[in-house]
Amino acid sequence: MRTLPRLLLATALAACPALVPAASSAADLIVGFTLDADTLDPANHRKRETETIIRNMYDGLLTRDANMLVVPEIAESMTQVSATEYDFKIRPGIRFHDGTEMTAEDVKFTLDRVVQDGGMGDGVTSPRQGLMGPVASVEVTAPDTVRITLKEPWPILPAMLPNQQIVSKAWVEKTGNEGVATAENGTGPFKLAEWRKGDAVILERFDDYYGGATDIAPVGPACVDRVIFKIIPESASRVAALLAGEVHIINELPAFSIGQVEANEGTQVMTVNGTRSFFIAMNMQGEYFDDLKVRQAAAMAIDKQLIIDKILAGNAAPIDGILSPDAFGASELPHAGYDPEKAKALLAEAGFPDGIDVTMDVEGAFKDTAEAVASMLTKAGIRTTVAVGEGAQLSDKWRTKGAPKSGDMYFTSWGNGSLDPFDIFTPTHRTNDRGNSAGYANPDLDAVLDAAAVELDVEKRRAMYHDAEMMINADQPYVYLWVPQDIYGVSKRVTGWQPSADSRINLHDACLN
Amino acid sequence: MSLGKLLERIVQLVPVLLGVSLIVFVMMALTPGDPVQIMVGEQSITPAQEAELRHSLGLDRPMAERFFIFLMNAAHFDFGTSFYHGRPVADVIAERLPATIELSLVALVVALATAIPLGVMAAIRKNSLLDRVATVGSLLGVSLPGFWFGILLIMLFAVHMQILPVSGRIGYDNEVAAVTGFLLIDTLLAGDIAAFGDALRHLILPAITLGLPMTAILMRVTRTSMLEVMRQDYVTFAEAKGLPRRRVLYRHALKNALIPTVSVAAIETGSLLGGNMIVETVFGWPGLGRLVVESIFLRNYPLIQAAVLLYAVTYVLLNFIADILYTVLNPRVKL
Repeated sequence: MRTLPRLLLATALAACPALVPAASSAADLIVGFTLDADTLDPANHRKRETETIIRNMYDGLLTRDANMLVVPEIAESMTQVSATEYDFKIRPGIRFHDGTEMTAEDVKFTLDRVVQDGGMGDGVTSPRQGLMGPVASVEVTAPDTVRITLKEPWPILPAMLPNQQIVSKAWVEKTGNEGVATAENGTGPFKLAEWRKGDAVILERFDDYYGGATDIAPVGPACVDRVIFKIIPESASRVAALLAGEVHIINELPAFSIGQVEANEGTQVMTVNGTRSFFIAMNMQGEYFDDLKVRQAAAMAIDKQLIIDKILAGNAAPIDGILSPDAFGASELPHAGYDPEKAKALLAEAGFPDGIDVTMDVEGAFKDTAEAVASMLTKAGIRTTVAVGEGAQLSDKWRTKGAPKSGDMYFTSWGNGSLDPFDIFTPTHRTNDRGNSAGYANPDLDAVLDAAAVELDVEKRRAMYHDAEMMINADQPYVYLWVPQDIYGVSKRVTGWQPSADSRINLHDACLN
Repeated sequence: MSLGKLLERIVQLVPVLLGVSLIVFVMMALTPGDPVQIMVGEQSITPAQEAELRHSLGLDRPMAERFFIFLMNAAHFDFGTSFYHGRPVADVIAERLPATIELSLVALVVALATAIPLGVMAAIRKNSLLDRVATVGSLLGVSLPGFWFGILLIMLFAVHMQILPVSGRIGYDNEVAAVTGFLLIDTLLAGDIAAFGDALRHLILPAITLGLPMTAILMRVTRTSMLEVMRQDYVTFAEAKGLPRRRVLYRHALKNALIPTVSVAAIETGSLLGGNMIVETVFGWPGLGRLVVESIFLRNYPLIQAAVLLYAVTYVLLNFIADILYTVLNPRVKL
């Protein structure tokens, strides 16, 4: 019996020399973050988390403030010369982290690397090519001016440009793609000190920083000495790290942990309206949901507000169309309302007086919410079984781009990082488009969406998207549910930082008391 | 063991690896989920751009051709480029592997150092209070989900007592030159005792969480095997000869009783290496398990393929080591 205590004692003794808490300097701002960067190459990543980390080292021509307003960053100004031409005047005196000066040639090189086939060299095409839409060419028209020419009008170019970060032509050519993947040479407020892959990305202040966007105060070098993105994928562990004081900001705080963080003396909860719309696709090619009355019955069977209050802890905004209330073109829409009795009556009118039996596909992460929805549907006569599937498999099954599909309902979502309808409306509602999981086909809507995509008059465009929202609100191909808020746990020592709707964590202005 | 036998084992590895490669390749091809669609996500993209991306990743070639190219390259230890990292898969895996091995070995040491003494004592004092406590404890050890147990340890030692860290491998101000990739060794090589202690502190909770189920299993195996051996004639004879009980137990009985323990430990070590995902996720441990699971969800084919091969090699090697240990423990067994 003595062996175990001895072993425990030995372990404890071994740990003794280090019972001093893990050292981190007073001016280290530490973010408990869900995912590590896959790469540090601004042209070769596909995840928002990777971009969040990269964005603290690299600046773009344009950026967004915390309220999602697009403002110039490296560009001094942007001028639309014609329907398809935009000029960007570059700010003087911006330096890369290696000390070299940034020029218009670097901007051209950066954008060419993304938009051209095989633009990254060695036959590699940037997976971010699609984010640049119909860009035809990028030319340096004056030593401080770059012109982007489009193949066709594309009004959301300014909204999409914050997704691109400027690299140094000379450095990329010297370092090669593999080097750019693990090192950095940006113009941003922080430079890379060390990347402990899978563990932490350690950044330190770049003292020669030009100051960042003039429209986002304060302008100047970053406040803290170091920023550390500490990778903690498990949400319970992220919360624990915040409560233990090991980290100062955590992302993706689960709704059920809000109380715990609020009750803790030194921490608080911060929220921001997100950009991801949740909805339930109803297979309009299937045996039940080809009937508008059955789709309307489903919409009336769900008490969205109850789920928002009880499961999402009040952190979501209900929607009656695809757009977030914050998106361009969003407007007040007719509201189906929660009415299970009317839903039953509609089902009976549709020829299903005894109700129907359906299956709802969902990814594991949203199983609880889907089950709450299913129980409401069941009470209204749409007897729903929840089937949990893996993301890629469900995407294959439902996003068939017009090919025949099986299944009844699909609880899913679509992100809208630009908050422009083009990014979410067209893919989810245009006939046979890539995110049209309901199999919805409405030529009139297609025409409106196509016209709105190239309409340069802002007010006309807004009206077009309102018309489009009215069409889908009437046809109800989906049950439009809600747009959840992004929830952060934040130490009260952090000042000068607020969460941003695009889920980025820009730490240039953040300070630590 | 002769050199011939060793070579024979290595040659046997070749069909195993070929078979594993083929199975993984076919399974990935049959699993729904298109890597290009996953990579593009919700991005608007034209069919031409999608085709270009598919071509760029080499996914426009027929499956048989892709498999052949993979085999040819793998023969030169070139496992291709990770779709998401933009770097050779071998590099990406090599960065993560030492963290997984280090955690697994420490968990193994914790498990062996706890399980064998407990198992032996439970057997010697069969039906005593100790035996019953150990039996119930082992049942709990196998049943407690690592996820839950890990969080419990974090809440107790990191949040309430604040004596151990929640996650990571080492503090940020400790810069350790990577020699072996194992922080416990690298910190000692650098002569940095404080950093060594810090690395050890980070290891304690994940190693206990990872080692717990193994401890439980090994304890049960050792106890059963020890009871079995203690009923053997030669033990009775040794006791009848008047040898001290301690000598009978530890010189005669234990050595034979450990044979099944070693065998189970070898197999369990394989599962430690492969089954780290949950512990690595809970403790933010930058190991291979997490990387592989992420890669499966993203259909990052080259990385999955290489990692599964690595697991296969590891299993075969561990079994081989177990066989050698058998011969050491019981010279009558020949390979």
